[in-house]
Amino acid sequence: MHHAHIDKFSFGDSPIHRFDSRVKVLVTVVFTVLVISLARTSPAIVACYAVGPFTILVLARIPLRFVFKHILLVSPFVLVLALTCPLYDKTPVAVAFGPFSTEMSLGWLRCFTILAKFVVTMAALIALVSTTKFADLLAGLQKMHVPRLLIIQLGFLYRYIFILIDRIHRILRARAGRKLRNLGFKAELAVASAMVGSLLSRSIDNACNVNIAMQARGFDGKWRTISRLKMRRRDLFFAAASACFLAVMQFIALRLR
Amino acid sequence: MHMANELLSVPVATGTVGIAAASLSLVCRKAKNVIDSDRLALMGVLGAFVFAAQMVNFQLPLMPGTSGHMVGAVLLAIILGPHAGAIVISSVIIVQCLIFQDGGLLALGCNIINMALVPSYIGYFIYRLIIKTGGRTHIAAMVACVIAIEAGAALVPVEAALSGVLVVPFFTFMITMLGVHLLIGLVEGIITVAVLGYLQQVRPDLALNPLPGKIRLSRKTAIVTLGVMAVIVGAGISLFASGLPDGLEWSYAERPGHPDFEPVVVNDDSTIAAVDAFQSKYSPLPDYSIRSRAPGQGGALPAQAARGWTSFAAVLGSAITMLLIWVTARVLRKRPVTTAIH
Amino acid sequence: MTKAIEIRNFSYHYPDGTTALSDITLSIEAGERVALIGPNGAGKSTVLLAMAGFIKGTGKISIEGLETSNRNLRKIRALIGSCLENPEDQLFMPTLFDDVAFGPLNMGLGSEQVKARVTEVLRTVGLERLADKAPHHLSAGQKRAAAIATVLSMSPRIITLDEPDGSLDPGNRNNLIKLLNSLTQTLIIATCNMNLAAALANRVILLDKGTVIADGDSSTIMGDRTLMADHGLESPTILYMKKQQ
Repeated sequence: MHHAHIDKFSFGDSPIHRFDSRVKVLVTVVFTVLVISLARTSPAIVACYAVGPFTILVLARIPLRFVFKHILLVSPFVLVLALTCPLYDKTPVAVAFGPFSTEMSLGWLRCFTILAKFVVTMAALIALVSTTKFADLLAGLQKMHVPRLLIIQLGFLYRYIFILIDRIHRILRARAGRKLRNLGFKAELAVASAMVGSLLSRSIDNACNVNIAMQARGFDGKWRTISRLKMRRRDLFFAAASACFLAVMQFIALRLR
Repeated sequence: MHMANELLSVPVATGTVGIAAASLSLVCRKAKNVIDSDRLALMGVLGAFVFAAQMVNFQLPLMPGTSGHMVGAVLLAIILGPHAGAIVISSVIIVQCLIFQDGGLLALGCNIINMALVPSYIGYFIYRLIIKTGGRTHIAAMVACVIAIEAGAALVPVEAALSGVLVVPFFTFMITMLGVHLLIGLVEGIITVAVLGYLQQVRPDLALNPLPGKIRLSRKTAIVTLGVMAVIVGAGISLFASGLPDGLEWSYAERPGHPDFEPVVVNDDSTIAAVDAFQSKYSPLPDYSIRSRAPGQGGALPAQAARGWTSFAAVLGSAITMLLIWVTARVLRKRPVTTAIH
Repeated sequence: MTKAIEIRNFSYHYPDGTTALSDITLSIEAGERVALIGPNGAGKSTVLLAMAGFIKGTGKISIEGLETSNRNLRKIRALIGSCLENPEDQLFMPTLFDDVAFGPLNMGLGSEQVKARVTEVLRTVGLERLADKAPHHLSAGQKRAAAIATVLSMSPRIITLDEPDGSLDPGNRNNLIKLLNSLTQTLIIATCNMNLAAALANRVILLDKGTVIADGDSSTIMGDRTLMADHGLESPTILYMKKQQ
């Protein structure tokens, strides 16, 4: 089931899991910005930045194989983008790497850099999401003044995704069980529309019941929640440590110019 | 299509995130006045519905081997109204980014603009326009879907070009995006029409009168907004279509390894200089740009070599650091790995 | 003394005209445990919804003397807690804690009070260790207990439950019976499961086609095999076994 895959590690327990979600979000964003802003043609420095997410993942005991499999899963579009570079930019460039020295096209260099940046920023994002419960993430975002309506919406969405994904899997499976041959585009489209329509009407009924449940518990339009987030000393320590790491990386990057 | 971080530069990413955040705040504030508390659950569930509906794939007719699925922005705008619809689709995109890593963090702004804000409002506006001028529901939905999705798709090459990331010629990218999304828009339209028809039978109260309150989209505002957008997009296109060199020009302008190679084409377009200046001013690290080297500079190789060793050292250092961290973590690991309950 | 629930000549038609409830009259005292039994489509769920003020029909319904009008809805919903048929519909917040806290927060309680109540209620239903879990990580039995917790935290005086043992295995069902038997509130349970009705309630109201067919002692009514069969039901096995002794 899909949902086992998404939420897998966010309920684990490690020092990283216990950090405040606000700090983790900020660090991830700053990290991503710095990595993306690196030169487009030096994969080496990107590799240095990789130490950051790597450390987090190891300390949080997230299996690396899971991370890489996931990155591979979402890579197709970036792969296409990256591979257009060697196709279009054939400027020959002399490249030296330690004892090796070769000539390759600028396009390939850009390609490798894009891929490296992708892997590193994705790893950071995965590190954030697998060490933070979605509920805590939302609570953090709410404290950072994201509009309340959006927070409510994200909460409901997260809650009901799993139910609806299960439902659509069941519908698709039922469909597959009755599909004996390819019926051609028109028929397939009709079937797809019927499945989507049936899912929609069940979803709407579902929503009605949830609304009844909300009203039954006194909901009057004002959304009230208790925030259980507290900034502790260890969160500030994490922020400081990350800041140092990023500063050092930037310094090295400048040296590599 | 979800954009990746690498398709954007930091200034453009920051700008679009800012625009998206401001717009969403505005939409949320406006929506609060028209959404009954009854609709909150519906919005949430419909968001999950869009997620699930996007998993229903079917074979596309003209492109063998590819499959299409619905996006749902226009459908939701029609059912919930543009404000609530935009919020719901935005939430879907946010969750897709965070939990499915579909689209990068920095590209979130662009993705929200391209796939939530623009299609919801444009789709809704066109739908209402056609209905008001006497058109039938299914034609209105169809046209709205195609235009909404094309509009969103057209923004992708613009945003990428503004970032200066494009290696592919701008027009090629634009034509590809528009072409592919035309097909996607048509399919989206067909499914939207079908679902609306289904809804009209099963829950007519939702399909025919979708708005809990009255959302008056002032025609003047809408037209002005569209006009402004068209000018920006158009200006952007003309600016970059003429200015950007394609790969061919780059490869002939300079070749550092061959100092006595005369440039065949000299690109002294002022636009390029301006873009270069802009980029070097705002990115913390300017590109490795071969432009800065004038032909004839033969000292390329030693500088290259020195740089090569620094890179090597950096990468080796990182690898060793990571290895150390990994080994230390393993050694310190006293209790078995605790994973979540499945 | 005002009855906990009093329904007088209540009728309700669906928007398309079909009758859902027809001239229902019943009253329930505080502390009673009543099982609403009847075949599918008899109107049991509709009666429960009507009690909590979700349905506008003709006739009168009063909860502890308060009529179910818009003016009194807020007070009524604090008095009567509704457990819906599908616990997923009641667990709509990101964590169990938030779900159980939802009711008390809407009643206007302060955060410290709410936290205390949530902890206490979770302990009552045996889920205190799962406060931070997301609902989709709970098992079927836990979800049902959680749904009851979300209602208990509002300290209602009356609790209605719609098919509370749906999809529960016998073990979980027994836990549910134990939990419900430990509560002191007035309980109204709509069920198709005669054994559950027998285990939880000593009074039974038999509904069919939107009307009250019988209202009285559970063993008398449920022991009447002809009556049960006439309305698409059966006698509980417990009674069978008792008769065989």
